[in-house]
Amino acid sequence: MLTIQPGVPEPIYRQILEQLRRLIAAGQLAEGERLPSVREVALAHAVNPMTVSRAYGLAETEGLLERLRGKGMVVAAQSTRTRSQSERLALLEPPLQALARQVQELELPAELVLRRLGKLLGE
Amino acid sequence: MSESSASSTPLAAQGLWHTYGERSALRGVDFTVETGSVLGLIGRNGAGKSTLIRALLGLLVPSSGCTLVLGEPALQLTDRVKERIAYVPQQPESFPWLTAVQMLEFLGRFFPRWDGDFARTTLSRWEIPAGRPLARLSPGERQRVELIRALACRPDVLVLDEPAAALDPVARRELLREVALRAGENGCTVLFSTHIVSDLERVASQIALLHEGRLLLHCDLDATKERYARLWLPPRHAEAAPGAALSRRVHGDGSLTLVVGRGARGEWPAAVQLDGARLDALGLEDLFVEIAA
Repeated sequence: MLTIQPGVPEPIYRQILEQLRRLIAAGQLAEGERLPSVREVALAHAVNPMTVSRAYGLAETEGLLERLRGKGMVVAAQSTRTRSQSERLALLEPPLQALARQVQELELPAELVLRRLGKLLGE
Repeated sequence: MSESSASSTPLAAQGLWHTYGERSALRGVDFTVETGSVLGLIGRNGAGKSTLIRALLGLLVPSSGCTLVLGEPALQLTDRVKERIAYVPQQPESFPWLTAVQMLEFLGRFFPRWDGDFARTTLSRWEIPAGRPLARLSPGERQRVELIRALACRPDVLVLDEPAAALDPVARRELLREVALRAGENGCTVLFSTHIVSDLERVASQIALLHEGRLLLHCDLDATKERYARLWLPPRHAEAAPGAALSRRVHGDGSLTLVVGRGARGEWPAAVQLDGARLDALGLEDLFVEIAA
């Protein structure tokens, strides 16, 4: 379910948190769905369990996850109503800003980039 | 180091200097490794990593300074502390006449928490020839046997010097899993040196960067990634470069590359706002190369 890239500048706990935000916002993780345990994630990716529990803890604080006795971490109820479009768009802000910067550095016309992006999005 | 905190600290060094003849290997290292942390020690070849590890464990007498293991002076460890630590050197040489199975059976008797099942199953999983004396194993096989020995005694403090060198990617991943789980769940403290930075990024909670015998950096891994970045300044702004930078390179055209850190309130140095300046997040490998090159 999660993808972890150890070499990138973004710390692993942040990579996990961002993915949880996206998966839950998009409804790919449904209300009440059980998440793999800290141990399972740590074993699957050979990462430190403390890193995984830090990410889960932050997601819990944000109200994305809740800890159920005997079941571990599940997707929290209030986040299940799929978020509004603008909330989901806000999650894309960091990669969009990075993309905009690269487009400017490469001195590419916006129209060309938008056309290509449209193709990638299947329009 | 106060008496009370030192007794619970797995590994500690203070004012450590060491010279080999004319060459200084360690130049004043102060260092502690906290319980349950996984500390990755990085540095170029010859940076002093092995010397630091050997001095920490009392395997060499430093020119000056002192080291403590679980609160005891490293040069006078009692058996009580020795059975709680495990160390795998880069080139293991002990018991060359025994086979791996004989060696593990022999040593297992000295460790109260010895995990014989783990030793047996890992020997076959890591494909160690059963009938051959250790002297006739390849260096890689020999180091794998030592890693099994170190893990099977269920230590409180595990010290590995370049453990990844002898392992193929599958066995390396397995070792990382073991290290991560033992630290995360059993509170085992791990110190390992490596120059394979991606291994360290998976499991380490702390990193220490040793460069020419000095510790240039010792902090939380995630904080390191969030706190430091690379700043490039065009020639016209070279004068405005912040004074406090971890590294500084001047290019042929007069532009500058610096490794800068956030201030106490998380703010970047003012120079990042200059027209034409660019700030890039750094992976650990890039940070290492920028600082140690």
